[in-house]
This record gives sequence, structure tokens and C-alpha cells, in this order.
Amino acid sequence: MAYRKLGCLHESATQSARRDFLRVGSLGFLGMTLSQSLRLQAASASTLQQSAKAKSCILVWLEGGPAQMDTWDPKPNSSFRPISTNVSGIQVSELLPESAKRMDKLALIRSMSSFGDDHPQAVHYAACGHLHNPAMAFPSLGSIVGKELGPRNAMPPYAIVPRWEKGRQYEDYFRSAFLGPDYDPMLVPDPSKDNFAVTDLSLPKGLAPAAVENRRSFLDIVDNNYRSKVASAEHAKMDAFQAKAWEMLLAPGVQKAFDLSSESDKTKDAYGRNSVGQSLLLARRLVEAGTRFVTAAGYHANSWDTHSDNDKGHRDRLTPPLDQGLAALLDDLSASGLYDETIVIVMGEFGRTPDINPGLGRDHWPQCWSLALGGGGLNTGMVVGESDERAANVVDRKTSIGDLFATVYKAMGIDWTKEYMTPVGRPIKIANSFQDSTGEPVRELFGA
Amino acid sequence: MLVFAAVAAAADPAVVSLRIVPAESRLTGSGASQQLLVLGKTAEGAEIDVTGEASLVVADPAAAELREGARVFGTSDGATEVTASYAGLSSTAKLEISGSADHRPFSFARDVGGIFTRRGCNGKGCHGGVKGQAGFKLSDNGVHPHDDYKWIVEGGTFRVLTDEPLGDATPRINVDKPEASLLLQKAVMEIPHGGGPRFEKGSDDYNTILEWVREGAPYGEEGGSNEPKIVRLEAFPSGLVLDPGQKHRVLITAHYDDGRTEDFTHQVLATVHDTGIASMSSDGVIEARQPGETAVLVKAAGRSVRIGVGVVGAELENYPEISANNFIDEEVFAKLRRFNIAPSKLSSDEEFLRRVCLDLTGRLPPPERVKQFVADKSPDKREKVVDALLGSPEYVDYWTFRFADLYRVALFPVGINPKWTQAYYEWIRDAIDRDRPYDEVARERIAAQGYSPASRHYLPYLVIPPAENMMGEEMRVFLGRRFDCAQCHDHPYEEWTQDQFWGLTAFFGPMFKLGGNPSSVIFDFPDGKEIAADVPSPTPLGVFHPRTKEPVQPAFLDGRVVPYDQSEFPRRELAEWMTSHKFFAEATVNRIWSNFFGRGIVDPIDDFRSTNPPTHPELLAKLAKGFADQGYHLKPLMRTIVLSKTYQLSNIANESNAADKINYSHALPRALDAEILLDAIADVTGVAERFDVGTNRGDWKGGITPMGGRAVQLKEGDLYPTAFFDAYGRPNRFSVPERDTSPKLTQALHMLAGTTYNEKLWKPGARVYDLVEAGASDDAIIEELFLAAFTRSPTPAERKAIQAQIAATPTREQALQDLQWAIVSARELAENH
Repeated sequence: MAYRKLGCLHESATQSARRDFLRVGSLGFLGMTLSQSLRLQAASASTLQQSAKAKSCILVWLEGGPAQMDTWDPKPNSSFRPISTNVSGIQVSELLPESAKRMDKLALIRSMSSFGDDHPQAVHYAACGHLHNPAMAFPSLGSIVGKELGPRNAMPPYAIVPRWEKGRQYEDYFRSAFLGPDYDPMLVPDPSKDNFAVTDLSLPKGLAPAAVENRRSFLDIVDNNYRSKVASAEHAKMDAFQAKAWEMLLAPGVQKAFDLSSESDKTKDAYGRNSVGQSLLLARRLVEAGTRFVTAAGYHANSWDTHSDNDKGHRDRLTPPLDQGLAALLDDLSASGLYDETIVIVMGEFGRTPDINPGLGRDHWPQCWSLALGGGGLNTGMVVGESDERAANVVDRKTSIGDLFATVYKAMGIDWTKEYMTPVGRPIKIANSFQDSTGEPVRELFGA
Repeated sequence: MLVFAAVAAAADPAVVSLRIVPAESRLTGSGASQQLLVLGKTAEGAEIDVTGEASLVVADPAAAELREGARVFGTSDGATEVTASYAGLSSTAKLEISGSADHRPFSFARDVGGIFTRRGCNGKGCHGGVKGQAGFKLSDNGVHPHDDYKWIVEGGTFRVLTDEPLGDATPRINVDKPEASLLLQKAVMEIPHGGGPRFEKGSDDYNTILEWVREGAPYGEEGGSNEPKIVRLEAFPSGLVLDPGQKHRVLITAHYDDGRTEDFTHQVLATVHDTGIASMSSDGVIEARQPGETAVLVKAAGRSVRIGVGVVGAELENYPEISANNFIDEEVFAKLRRFNIAPSKLSSDEEFLRRVCLDLTGRLPPPERVKQFVADKSPDKREKVVDALLGSPEYVDYWTFRFADLYRVALFPVGINPKWTQAYYEWIRDAIDRDRPYDEVARERIAAQGYSPASRHYLPYLVIPPAENMMGEEMRVFLGRRFDCAQCHDHPYEEWTQDQFWGLTAFFGPMFKLGGNPSSVIFDFPDGKEIAADVPSPTPLGVFHPRTKEPVQPAFLDGRVVPYDQSEFPRRELAEWMTSHKFFAEATVNRIWSNFFGRGIVDPIDDFRSTNPPTHPELLAKLAKGFADQGYHLKPLMRTIVLSKTYQLSNIANESNAADKINYSHALPRALDAEILLDAIADVTGVAERFDVGTNRGDWKGGITPMGGRAVQLKEGDLYPTAFFDAYGRPNRFSVPERDTSPKLTQALHMLAGTTYNEKLWKPGARVYDLVEAGASDDAIIEELFLAAFTRSPTPAERKAIQAQIAATPTREQALQDLQWAIVSARELAENH
């Protein structure tokens, strides 16, 4: 498959498919004529879209960076035991018992490798696939998916649940940059709070639709003079957005998607009555209603950044809500059949040091870490890549953020070799791997 | 369009004399040819292209023959003439044919490389891009024929950071089965090709390549030191001014270093920058479409030439006489005159006042001020108001905000320590307040270290960023140039090389961080040598070239090197060099100018390059020189700009200038930036915004901003998360700000349902609420709201319609709330116009 590598690095997906057929054709003994191969390649070009099952993605964001050896890649230097899962041969940390029971629904990548020794750089890198650069801003994965797939059912294409209440520097990394505010995430407040209400997507209390109509009548009067005098293409654009906004505000599906009160207490309990669990529950509702990408960010303020008391933190505070919420999410999505078209990714910005520091903590470790993902038609119940005996270095299948992005794009039918042009004409890869190469979908996750 | 064409055609018969260009041609070698151009001079003295309409005859048909209209080919050695006749006139040109039996030896660069240029294969958007296309890389415009030869004959996959190809090398030709060469199959679409068909099977270009492969794909004639090289391309005419619908061919001549010339008209790739203004047919004839300016970039043999094309509007009867206030008007009006575009009338007092208040202070004039200004009868009242605004505290607020944006004052990206952030902010504020010379301010920022407040942007998140990023930012902010492309490769649109990029980067090499977080500061190691407790002996620091891996010494763009060991503090020398370079004054005046017109004379404002020329080069030069001569003060520069008539023209277009967006013939609406619009809504409703600090990180305790504060006064923009700022595109200051103020869906949602537009309408202290409490009539309230928001009184029709809508609303309270909502949601408020 050497040519596959060449193809994926520098040709578009369809070009690469063509190249494959050329190879077949040039073997000759298949007796394929040129026109046959042309027909075949035409078919393969459209299969990029057709064979893709995934229509949305939930990123379960573990801010601060979980310890790989204490979660998905159990190793002797962890204080916790490995336990068996429902897939023979795969073990995870005993801190994730519920996830272990659902390992057939997840694939683990134990050979993630990225950049950024500290949170700002690493979060930026994980969210956008590029190192932070003061000379320009990069769009995040969620914005790119929102732009490429477009909105569905009047739902915002991209959401973050909950929005960062404090330290919102990271929030800015999950934005659209030059793609424009329409692909910025909708910032949803914490759904586990009693006063949870979504602003800007429902009319304020006491404002009836009839009153809004009256306001629009006033606006027609007030804006008429200026618009007739000063020509501007922006006026038509704003009118179109106003009409669309009005449609969203009145669309019952949109309001309903954000209304957690229609979920039973039993369901809410199953996800966990906390920011992590309720965010996952709301994420599920949003993708059901049509949102393309949800960053479920119930862990905030570097929650997983266990520089001290790593074990205690992982055991008592961090893994329980994740294990519970993730299990409920996987169960719900599987039961409804939605898991086939919804990718779930569980990751932070990096891993943690193989050694325990004097404060009983683990520090930052970008060169080797793990993540879990599944759904959207991806192969699951498997492990990709391997780390050494202390989960300190990658020994097999080093995988980049760009490879992860390419995997998501391929599952969604997005051409992962695409480059965007910035307003000044600098090309930006949407899946940016090591050494300026294009990310490659993790092949083990596709096909039979 | 059709109407225009008819007009142009009707003008044709006015030709009074005829000539052929070139008047003498030497056709040397087998198959040599010359494109001819027949020009007719009109009674007004303009020359028009009548090549298509003229009839041409060669005196001696055995010596030369005409093909494809006016292209003459030498057939046997000798001298003859060609005669053109048109409209009863005629003209003759000489032809000299030599070497017609001499076949030129094959040259890969000329014979195959030329095809790639002509067929658009090696353009920047295609295989000539930095990284090639689909794995196949050619040099841009064939400048490196040896590299191109290697890619084709041996194959390989290009990588940016190394010369080593990656993976399998796939040759693009097949010497055993020449017809099966990928190069040919792709170009004729026998195999799918992302770039589409480039030529037909059996065409001359196809056959040239096929023959070449059949011959074993030699490199051929070396084109070594003895071989004449093409040193430049020349276009005739070098610039064109056309009426809409008019057509004109240009001739391209290649000049060799031995003085010889050759007709290259049919061997070039020409691209029109703005095809809405002019187009170009496949055989190279430019056709004017609609008034405006564009350029044609012509490329061949690694050289290029630009042809400016101006399309003028119809001649105006009674072109308005308009006097100039200053040199800005002289430049702008002269160009408008040239293009038959009439400037709009001078703005009304209300229009001018609103515009200049927003542009100088970011704030709407209050109703009282509007009334005073309109009532003032003094002839110099505009000058007086400008001086009052330049001296106002709001000016300081607003321009501090502008520069805090550009300089990226924000908590997280400048050191996670409010003490530093605020010192940085105050340093900017002081510079604005005292109108300090801008070159001095720039030098302080570029060379900042230690406890200097301006050093903070070099320490985002308490980490020193990569040197190349710091360099790229300073160049963009102060010289208006983007060097970042040259980080990995020579700049694709510019003469900047990767070596220059790393030479400049090396000035930022010796920085180190001193002290513990969060009070650490940056310093430069003297002489570029690291001296530290845990370092045994002083170690040379450095920046390493990514390709050669060699250490790089600081070097200016002109190549002058500043070795570390001969400079105590190279960054100070860089700052001196940058601020004394003409780029600095040009970039600064262009940046300031854009604030008043919504576009730069070079636009985008920080993308100066040879392929993005200024619309008014003389004006830019004069502004820059004036700025430098007066000592780099911003206030006099702004004063000159806003007192020009150009700035004070009305926003109401006339028939001749409605399409103009670049020549300042009338004021164009500009959407207000997020902070300015939010302050405007607060001013109109009378309810100030209070900002909730969204973090309690470090020793920053957070909380709510004091009552009466304004968005432009926020010191650290990143601390105040609001849906309003998000929707209206406030930059986060993590990178050099680029604001996008175009309408968005999120704005429409926020307008209908968001807090900003709904919670300021009815509460004690609000403008309308208090007016109602004081017993004001609906009419008085309408008047007041219009003055506050739009700086004008409502028209009688507006008054009447609003009154009717109020009457149709169930309650007066609701009516007045809904009216206010409409006023703050109107485009007339949201734009400066």
C-alpha cells in the first residue's frame, strides 16, 4: 500500500481514488479498458460523499489533559489496575468500568502525539490542528465541520456546551477565525444549573411574537429613508439573516432541542447531575435536532491538570462523571440508532508524564497520549497504535491531530485534503499533520 | 454593455491617420513570426486598435505570409513590406527575414517549459504553487527549468521544509510508450485532471511534448553562459485607457541579453486581475467592460510584465468644478477627472458631523451638539469642530482603543498578569494623549524588553513565542507586509526570500525570560550569547535556517548583516532600521487613512506587495512624506485627512460614480465595529452597558465594570465575554486583529432576542423612559431619538408613518419600546456613512 501513502499525502481524496484505479488498470491482467476505469473512478468520486455515514460529531473535551496510563492505556506506572473490557484483549484502567463494558462501541488510539508544552499552545493545537500564531487565527475543527456540512433543521451548526465561564482564553481557540461568525460555536450556558436558559435562540420572557412583528414594522419605517439613499449590498444580506433568525426563533424544533425539561429524571440521573453529564445529555439532543458539531466541555478550568494529587484527582473527581456520562451517551445513541451517524471523540489537549512528581502529580506530556472515539460508521472495539511500557513514547502508529481531523472528515464525507485560502491567500490545510503534510485518516477505523 | 459597445463603434470612423506597430520587424530563424498591430489615430489624438478591421497585404508573398489575421511569418530570406489599409488610409511596415531555413536546437526550458507557462500549468494556483498540485510540482512561471525537468523525468513528491522528495518517485513521462505519458494524458484529459484539459490531442503543444518524449526526453540545449537569456518582457502599449466595449491587443516582446528581441505575444500567459472591468480573449485581445481599473499580468520564460488597464466612463457634460482643500483633493479629484467620474456633492452639516465624530472619537454627537452645529453660521465651523474633537478626552479613549486592538492588549496573550496588561495599556494611552511621535512609539515596542510596558506582547501566556512569529507580527504591524509565507519558502507573490525571512527573524533570537511566573520579564542576552547559572560557558544563541540547519545572523532586508557579537542589542538596530524605512511611513499613513475611508490606498492595509499596488500612488507618497516631515504625529495627519473635501463628500452617489468603490468619489458606508456600535446603542437608549469580567484568574478578582463605562474604555478586551461582541466580530487579540463587520445571522438573532437590544428600552434613567416621565410628546421623543441615533431630524413622511404605527400599537409604552428597538436595529445606526 505504499502508493496509498503517497496519494493521501498530496492528492485529493478523489484524485487518490483515481490513482488507485489507474494502478489497477496498469496491471493489465484485469483487462480493464480506460473507459471502464473512468466509469469506476467517477463512481468513486461520488462515493466520498455517499459512503460517509457520519452527519455530526460530539467532542467530549477533557480540558487539562488526562493521564493516558490512568485511563485508556493502563501501564505498570499507573497506581490503578487494568481491567478487562467487553472486547477480548483490550484492557483499560479500572477507573473506567462503565466504558469498559462498552468497549465494543469505542476505538482507542494509544499513539497520539502532538505539540504544546503548556495548555494554551496545546489546546489551540488540539482545537485547530495548527500551532498558535500571532500573525493569524485558524478555524477550529467544529467550525470547519459546520462550514463543510452546513446547518440542518434551522439548528446552529456548531455549539459549545457549556461555554467557558472563567478563563475564556480557550473558548477563543474553538472559533471560526476567517470562516466568519456564522461558523463560530453557539455558546450555551451550563445546562446543569437551575437557571439554565439559552439566550439569543428564544425570545426574552414577556416578548410575544406579535410584539416582534410590530418592531419589524417600525424598523421598515425607520430604515427606509437611509436604504433608499445609500446603496449597500449589506442591506439585502441583513434582511436575509433577519428572516432566517425569525424562522429559528419560531421553529419549534430549535426551542425543543435546548429544553432539557422534556428529558425524564431517570435519563438525567443516568448522565449524572453535573456539568459533565448534563452537557453530554444536551449534546445528544442538539445532534438529534441537527447540530453538526458539539464540544461538550463540562470539564473546564484545566480540570484534568493534575499537577498535584494525580491519582486522587483521577479517581475521585475526574473519571467518575466521564465514565457515567459517556456510558449513558453511548447507550442512548446506540439505542436510537443515531450512533451510526454520530462520531464521539473523548480527548484532552495532551497526556501526562510517566513519572509522578514530588507533589504526587503528573505534568504535561504531549508526545504520547491516548484518546477514545467511535460512532459515525467507524470501526470500533479495537486499539490503534502502541506506546512503550510506561506510556511515555509512541512505539507504533504515531498519530497526529491532523490524522484525527482527517478521520473525522472522511467519516463525514469531507475531502480531508482540502486547503482553505485565508483572506490574503495563504493556504491552510484543514487536516494538518506533522511537517506540513496532510493528515491521513486512521485506516484501521475504516472498511472491513 | 451593448449600448456602450455601440457608442465605441460609432466613434471609430473618426480615424485621421494610421500606423503599424512595429514599424520594422526582423524575423530570424525557421518559423519566426511577428504579430502586427494596426493603430488608427483619432481626431482627438487617441490611438485605437483597428487591426481586426484593417486589410493587410504583404508585398512579396514568397518572403512572408500572413496567418491568423495580422501575424506575419517569414518563409524565405529577404526584405519586404506589409501594408495596412483602413477607412481610406494606409500605412506600411518593413519586414526583414533571415535564417528562415535554420532550425533552432531543442531547449527544454523554451520549448517545453514555455508550454507550461502558456497553458497555465505552472501558475501559483496550480503546479507552480509553493507545494505544487496533486503531488506534481513545477517552478512558478518556469523559473527553474532544471527542477521542472527533474520533476517530470524522475518524479517525486515535493515537501516544504526539505529538498528530499518523499515516497515513490513517479515519472510524468513514459519513454517506452510516449503516448501513455502522464504529462500528456492529464493535459488532454485522457486521465482525469483536476486542472481540466490544457490542450487538444494533436495540437502543436501536444505534438511538441510527444516528439520530445519520443526523442528520449533530452534536456537539450543547456542555455548556458553563451546562450542569450531573456532579461525582460516588454508590453506595447505599457498601459491602456479604453472606453467600455472597446478592444485592444497588446504586443509582448522578449528582450535577450545580447540585445536581440523576439515577438512573444503568442507565447505568454496573461491574466486579468478584475475580469469585471476588462476581459481578455484567448488570442490576447483585451476588451473593456465597465469603468474602473485593473491590471493584466503577463508571464513567460520566468519573466513577467504588468499592463495597467483603465476603463473610463462616458464623457460627462458639465463636469462639476470643485476646488481642492488640500493635496489629498488634488490627487483624488485629478484621478476622478481622468476617469470621467464626478465626485458627489459636499456632505450636509449633519452628515459631516456624524461621520467625523465617529471617526475621530468613536462616539455619536449628542442631540444638543447636533443642533448647535447646524445652527452655527461661522464659515470655519467644520475646522473648529475637528480641532475640538482632536482635543477631546473621547479622542484619547477611542485611539487608545484602536491601538490597544492593533497592539493586542489582552490579559492572556500579554502575560496573564493584569499589572503588566494595564501598564501596556497606559503606555499606549499616554502616547495617544501626548501625540508622541509614532516612530518613537514603534521603536519602543519593537525593541521593548525588561520592565518596559511594551515588552508584554513578547510574553504571551508567560512563554516567549517562536522568534519568527514575533518578527512576522512586527513587520505586519509596522511595515504593512506579510512575511510569514517566506517562513517556509520564498514568498509566492513577492520578492521576499526564505533567507531574508530568517535573517530578520534572527534579530529576535537572543530573547530570554527572567524571573518566575507571573512576574517574569524578557531580556536579550548581550552579544547573542546565553549566560546562565546552569550553562558552563557563554553559548552562542541563534536561529537556525530550516533548510540548511545553519545558524543565521541578523540581517536587514537589504542584506546588511548585524552579527550578534558586534551588536549589544540587535533588536534596537532593527527598530531603527524599520522606522527609518519608507515602508514604515507608508504603512502607517495607509493604516490611519483606512480608518476614515473603510479601505486603504493599499488594501488590505497590511498586505503591501508589488502585485497589490496602491490606487493613488502619488497620494500615498505625499501623505507618507508629510507624516515623516512633521515628525510622525498622528493628529496632524488625521486633521489633514478629515479637512479634505474628499473626506467630506456626501454618501449620495451620482450617476457617474455609483459603481466606484476605490476612488473616493463619494462616502461609502462602513459598519461600526462591535465596541463602537455597543456604545452607540448605550448612548441612544441612555442605558450604559456594564461588563461582567469573565475570569478570576490569578490575582485578578473579576467583577463588574463601574457604572457609565464604555466599551472602548475596556482595557483587556478578552476579559469581557458578551454575546454582542461575539456576534459583531470583536477580535480576541490573540493574533493581529482582522475585523469582519459584515452582517451575520448571529447578529440578527441577537437583535431579535438578545439582551443588548431588549434590556435597555424601558427603565428609569433611559432616554425615552425619562422623556415620558417628564411629559414629552411622541413627536418630541421621535425628534430626540432621530437626533441621537442618526444625527438628523426625521422627515415629515417618517414622522407621519411612525405616528401611525404608534397609534396602531396596543399601548404607548410598547410603541415607544418597539420604536427604540427599531432605531437601534437600523442600518442607519449600525453604519458610519
